[in-house]
Amino acid sequence: MSEPEQSLITDAHRAMVGVKSEPVKVTISEADAHRMRDVLGDKDPRYADGAGFAPAYIIAGMGGGPRRGMPQVLPGGLLTQQEWKFVRPFKVGEELTAVSQVFDIRERMGGRYGYSVLITQGTEYFDAGGNHVASAMITITQFDPKSQRKGDE
Amino acid sequence: MSQRYYEDTNVDDELEPLERTPTTDMAIDFFGRDNPTNPAFSDIEAGKRLGVGGALVPGLLKLSWLTQYVSDWAGTEGHVRNLRAAYRRPDIADRPLVLTGRVVDKRVEDGKNVVELEVVTIAEGQPSTRANVQVELPSRG
Repeated sequence: MSEPEQSLITDAHRAMVGVKSEPVKVTISEADAHRMRDVLGDKDPRYADGAGFAPAYIIAGMGGGPRRGMPQVLPGGLLTQQEWKFVRPFKVGEELTAVSQVFDIRERMGGRYGYSVLITQGTEYFDAGGNHVASAMITITQFDPKSQRKGDE
Repeated sequence: MSQRYYEDTNVDDELEPLERTPTTDMAIDFFGRDNPTNPAFSDIEAGKRLGVGGALVPGLLKLSWLTQYVSDWAGTEGHVRNLRAAYRRPDIADRPLVLTGRVVDKRVEDGKNVVELEVVTIAEGQPSTRANVQVELPSRG
């Protein structure tokens, strides 16, 4: 796809900015923590089976995460920026509530992917007492793979 | 895993480089085989259609490795509290990544010993992921 004559970001896309999602329940699972530690080869005793805590990176696999409900403007997408914040360690077995929202949608002309759309979306996680536990924010660069600059593959 | 203390940490301290080779199996197992993921994580052709030249290494896997890398450096009394990453280039499965890092700042903030690091994944000599990480470290005594 060559560069469009007008923006592909519609009023409907813009209307999604700042709208909070319905809350989603997420449980910190021992099985998920175990599997992810195994893949990474993580031997940290704080997160061993039965220790009661999950490694911070379990946030990478949490349901209800930042991509939920993200607008799809173009068919391809790559994660280009990310931020994680941890207020306290995750406890195995605890149930968190995840609330997401789109923070920004913008477009970019030219560059490696040709015309692209950058969408920033974040998720906040709260415990049963309503205390903030963690947050995750991502920026996805959406593009049409057919318009990628030659020589970048 | 040894414990690192705030007083013993200095700006420009370097972390010991660590090599990791991401595979397509790792990408799938990390998220769980029953969970849907981007087909480009395991399918070379899907990665090529996306324009990355092979099976794509998930950014979340790289950031998790960087989290573990810094957490191991800090020791069991340390606490990673924030990571901010920029994915500069896609990485392709089965190609080794070298994790490196250095301390860029240290300060006491609201009574907490905060150390800031810049960590990167390097593929074929070029940084592919660059992250700034804030860690809390304990004091000696």
